[in-house]
Amino acid sequence: MNSDFSKPQRQSAYGIIVMGAHTTFKLIKATIFLFVLAFVKMQSTYFVYLILGIVAITLISFLFAYLWYLKFTFFLDKEKQEFIVNKGIFSRDQVTIQLDKIQQVNINQNILQKIIGVYGLKIDTAGAHGDEVSIKAIDETSAYNLKEHLLSRANILAEKPEFVVNNAISEETPFLKISAGTLFKVGLTSNYGQSLALLAAFFYTVIYEGRQLLDAFEVDKNQIQNTVKGMVTLVSVAILVVALLIVLLVINLVRTFYKYFELEISRHQHSLLISSGLIAKKNTLVSPNKVQITKYSQNYFQKKMNMLNMSLRQAHFGKNKKGHEMQGNTLEIPGCNPLERDELLKMILGKVPPIGKTFIPDWRFLNLPIFFKMVLPVIIFLILAFNIPQIKPYIFITGVYLCIGILMIYISYRRHRLTVNQEFIIKKSGIWDLSNEIVAPSKIQAITTFQYPWHKGVDVGHLSLHTAAGQIHFKYGNYTEIKQLVNYWLYQIESGNEDWM
Amino acid sequence: MQSFTNEIVDLDSLPKFEDIQLQKPHADYWKIICINLLIFFGIIGIGAIILICFVEEIRAQAFLIIGVYLALTLILFLLFRASFKKRGYAVRAHDVIYKSGIIAETTTIVPLNRIQHIELNEGIFSRIYNLGSLQIFTAGGQTGHLHIAGIPIDVAQGIRDLLLKKLDIIENQTAEIEGHE
Repeated sequence: MNSDFSKPQRQSAYGIIVMGAHTTFKLIKATIFLFVLAFVKMQSTYFVYLILGIVAITLISFLFAYLWYLKFTFFLDKEKQEFIVNKGIFSRDQVTIQLDKIQQVNINQNILQKIIGVYGLKIDTAGAHGDEVSIKAIDETSAYNLKEHLLSRANILAEKPEFVVNNAISEETPFLKISAGTLFKVGLTSNYGQSLALLAAFFYTVIYEGRQLLDAFEVDKNQIQNTVKGMVTLVSVAILVVALLIVLLVINLVRTFYKYFELEISRHQHSLLISSGLIAKKNTLVSPNKVQITKYSQNYFQKKMNMLNMSLRQAHFGKNKKGHEMQGNTLEIPGCNPLERDELLKMILGKVPPIGKTFIPDWRFLNLPIFFKMVLPVIIFLILAFNIPQIKPYIFITGVYLCIGILMIYISYRRHRLTVNQEFIIKKSGIWDLSNEIVAPSKIQAITTFQYPWHKGVDVGHLSLHTAAGQIHFKYGNYTEIKQLVNYWLYQIESGNEDWM
Repeated sequence: MQSFTNEIVDLDSLPKFEDIQLQKPHADYWKIICINLLIFFGIIGIGAIILICFVEEIRAQAFLIIGVYLALTLILFLLFRASFKKRGYAVRAHDVIYKSGIIAETTTIVPLNRIQHIELNEGIFSRIYNLGSLQIFTAGGQTGHLHIAGIPIDVAQGIRDLLLKKLDIIENQTAEIEGHE
């Protein structure tokens, strides 16, 4: 493989294996329960057909992988500063990516790629069509060379043509390293929500597929239902809850280790290289000026352990806002200590945001949430309770609910803050996780202010800052101050010619 | 802290977006809103009449349905009237301002150097009255878009051309700056 990528070239031939295995795996994964069902229900004579089916799927997958490999070429057009990929087995697709639209380049390695010794390379763009390019197999030097070419376009223009980045994988000492111990703490203290969702999805699949299996085995359902009912006592429920919590923690830990094992951040010319992963190593390169919102958050436990989670949010467009898509554009760095956070902030924002003027919301902030989340549900519950005798003994719950709820709303009010200085806007918020979102005024795309007519007299209004990576809201502020701030930011955006990407 | 309080003095002398005299949408645009509302209520009304005529059980509640229907029509017309009165737009040298809202008053400001692209739409009814609506897109997602309806078509075209020209100038400037680097 030549190192300047100016001529169309194929990827490494190992790509056939990677792609073929990938397709096979996907097909088998989609039909695995079908196979199990068939296996259970069919006589052994049909077993041969089953094996033949699997073999056929594998063969077809590899045939397609081979065709795909033949048709997949890529090259770098230096004149136009474009990266061009030709692909398509039956159709002919050409994907053209302008180099300055590239947001990040990911170099990944899954287990198979690790065994063969190749890397996968993915290009994320900010394009509205989100036409990602993914190269399945490329050797290490080429991957890093290509990545350098893609990300440091300014350099390529300036530097002499004979300059080829050979030592691209030069051992830059990472300035941030997350140790296993820290990761353990991270796993214990954060991302419960995501793990919970994972657990729920898992249980759903198990129950759904389990039912199908039961149908297949023709097991008596009533028997199982009776057993389950017999098990449901107060003690067993308590044990179940504890067990679930432990499972949740374990899942959280495993997930954290899987994703962030040996997380390292180092500086590479104009970009940050973030690498992590236990089995599949993931390398991500980000140019700091493409980060739109920089966020760090900390909860009570994490504060005690002196660590925080950071996330860098980049521009995302298009209507496809599925979870994984968003994830691709948000880089998480868990478990930094305050020093490392400052170091990272310096790299991304140029400096650690200094203390600025803080704006506090009005007490009217409390009104709507208390009414809609507290008073209204409680009234409905009470009306129900006084009409349905079975619920009556549980009326005391409303008291607990009110106490906890109002406390939480009050905390969220106390933590809803906007801090502004000349270079940055910092929005603080959160109930349990106290988060700080930092955005530079030059990253603002549009500003919205709004006010309810009944707040005109008391001079209270709201503010939304639209950035390419989401919105930042400040609610129930002093409207005169908000308008003043808006004028100031408009002045900053419009007088400067700073690029937001 | 000290340096910021210095800025406060500057803040007062900055141009104020809230003091700008906003352009109202053309009076004919109210007619278009009315036509759209009438079509909407016409369809619902026909549906209701068919139901009342053919379903025995519903016929008993005919007066109630007609009452709700009329009240809804009146409320929606009033709300749209209020929102129509509140709408306004302005194009400044460096940004576009749009104010709208039914109950709350929302003002959105898009700086010209953040505009991604501009769309000029003409609907069937808009064309009868020579009106157009201007859509201004930014990278700030759905909520960061401006949709200014009810502008006389020649004015809308004027604004579009003006904005496009400014966009060109801005792009050239950045290109030059990048070229110098």
